[in-house]
Amino acid sequence: MKLYATLRCFAPEGTEIGESFPVEIDDGTVKQVLSKLGISEERAKIIMVNGVRVKDADAPLKEGDLLVVFPPVGGG
Amino acid sequence: MSKILRVNMNDMDYKWEEVPKKYSTYAGRAMTTAIVHDEVEATCDPLRENNKVVVSPGLLAGTPAPSSGRISFGGKSPLTGTIKEANAGGLSGTRLGNLGIRAIVIEGMPETKKDWYSLYVSKDDVELLKTNDYAGIGLYDLIGRVWKKYDTRPGIVGCGVAGQRKNKSAGIFGNNIENTDPGRYAGRGGLGAVLGSKRLVAIISDDKGADRPKPKDKDLFDEGRKKLAEALDEHPVTGKLEDDDGNPYGGLKNYGTNVLMNILNEAGGLPSRGFSSGRFNGASKISGEAVHELVDKTKKKFGDKAEGMYGHPCHPGCIMACSNVVPYEKTGKAHVSPLEYESAWSLGTNLVIDNLEHVAELNRLCNDLGLDTIEAGNTIAMFMESGQIDYGDGEAAIKLLKEAYKEDSVVGKLISSGAKIAGETFGVTRIPVVKGQSLPAYDPRPIRGIGVTYATSTMGADHTSGYTIAAEILGIKGDVSDPREMKKAELSRNFQATTAYIDSSGYCLFIAFAILDIDKGFEGMTQTVNGFLGDEVDVTKYGLKVLEMERDFNRNAGFTKEDDRLPEFFRTEPLPPHDVTFDVPDDELDAVYKDM
Ligand code: SF4
Repeated sequence: MKLYATLRCFAPEGTEIGESFPVEIDDGTVKQVLSKLGISEERAKIIMVNGVRVKDADAPLKEGDLLVVFPPVGGG
Repeated sequence: MSKILRVNMNDMDYKWEEVPKKYSTYAGRAMTTAIVHDEVEATCDPLRENNKVVVSPGLLAGTPAPSSGRISFGGKSPLTGTIKEANAGGLSGTRLGNLGIRAIVIEGMPETKKDWYSLYVSKDDVELLKTNDYAGIGLYDLIGRVWKKYDTRPGIVGCGVAGQRKNKSAGIFGNNIENTDPGRYAGRGGLGAVLGSKRLVAIISDDKGADRPKPKDKDLFDEGRKKLAEALDEHPVTGKLEDDDGNPYGGLKNYGTNVLMNILNEAGGLPSRGFSSGRFNGASKISGEAVHELVDKTKKKFGDKAEGMYGHPCHPGCIMACSNVVPYEKTGKAHVSPLEYESAWSLGTNLVIDNLEHVAELNRLCNDLGLDTIEAGNTIAMFMESGQIDYGDGEAAIKLLKEAYKEDSVVGKLISSGAKIAGETFGVTRIPVVKGQSLPAYDPRPIRGIGVTYATSTMGADHTSGYTIAAEILGIKGDVSDPREMKKAELSRNFQATTAYIDSSGYCLFIAFAILDIDKGFEGMTQTVNGFLGDEVDVTKYGLKVLEMERDFNRNAGFTKEDDRLPEFFRTEPLPPHDVTFDVPDDELDAVYKDM
């Protein structure tokens, strides 16, 4: 998993920007990972599984998937 | 009373004019576009005397409406040959707004090309000054000299050596609130060169003793600005620096626009190595998060002496404050302000440079020379693409860019002339431009809506003219999972029209993140505009009218729908990691402006 911007504080301490860390879960959905790390669904605005954006936290995950989560952000 | 100042550089004269009735609701982009459309011959040579530079503060500039002090510049672009509007923050929008100036029109050019001039405007005074000592120098130096001469903290906009030499990548600079950096750029389209062609180096605006502009319907205006301020504060993109527990909260305040670097990278839409890959390994090292970390680190180390900042406003009264000051790691002193996403991308990611200090240095050089960072980065990429220097070699890129200081350097001229000219000179066939202007930081192959905007924008490739990224990647105003599901043309046109309205109001485009999500924010925006004017303006109609004038100018300049296309390689070369090409059919591109 990778966490960015204001969600970085939920990653294990010492995780570099852009560095992934492993998460182990029983049930394979994004929701499960978020609740394990204590991230509210509201803050998990942009979710990507293997580089493809998924709509909601019920998206399934399988072993070895890369889950990337961003809070609401904008710029330009 | 708002008025128009017309400055004639032929005979060094000026006159005041009333705002004509048909322009009564116009300011910012609407005003620059209307005047250029009505007064400039579309087929004129952009660098000869028939072109004009129009400067117009946004409608609400100077008022207490939040984040409303932007300023627009317009003219016929020497880079694209189209009409051009470019806008920026800085001090001058507020200063001119307070002076009640709706527009400054600069026309003609002096017969003898010997001297350089500056225009000074204050409450009771307009002067055209001979200022040869402001020409031929770096812009950090120039803004320092101006503030030394005037102790009223004036706004300054103008052109650097690139503009003075009429190079096509020259932007119009502006000083920041503290006057520490000339980095508030209306960068795109080479308007700095048009100013240079008129022998005008700087426009200095001094609002001492002037009153803030007064809304016609104060109650409506005040109600609106409160609603908008609440919406901006609440929204997690535009909102406060920290939450109640002291953790970072607002995305823009903490990370600036460069928060996008990692997102676009993860999404596989971050153009790298001259638009040949959608990912860059070093992206995180030059991202907004990295700047945030560097600022915190240097603050800890140097305490009060540290000059690095995030959450920095680009103009008085911006409550979103997405700007920053990037410090030197070794000394904590300011290196450049701001480092925006587009610049970190063009001068970093696109060139495969992941050294933050090199990227900051390239940006500082652009600010000092008077160059648009997006165009300059894409131009350096052409030098790399053709093997003049290597991708990833930051030191070589810095050395190359420094050539632009030398008046007699041919390489220096080439580096200041844009990606199209440099690419064609070197025989490159992967030149990322539309209508001569190079692409910004989103690859149109995986993110097709922005590709539609690049292709059809009246400005040449420009992301801000229809920022579909908000919906496509960031999920503002609705969810989008597969971008293919969206009607791209409709999305792009709606964004382009709303953008034209916002670009005229004086509001920073970034209010869009909050107003598209929070209804009272949108209401607040329209109430402030209507309250200020004492008139009711329809957002979409107003925006479409601006676009119509721009399309009309471009048509008269000789542009057709065949110009609304992306370069061939985007259709034929798949972009890793998603291995997709730009496959929006031509008739869908043409549908955006079918009736215009
Ligand atoms: S949000 Fe950023 S760019 Fe916009 S006005 Fe504020 S500081 Fe300037």
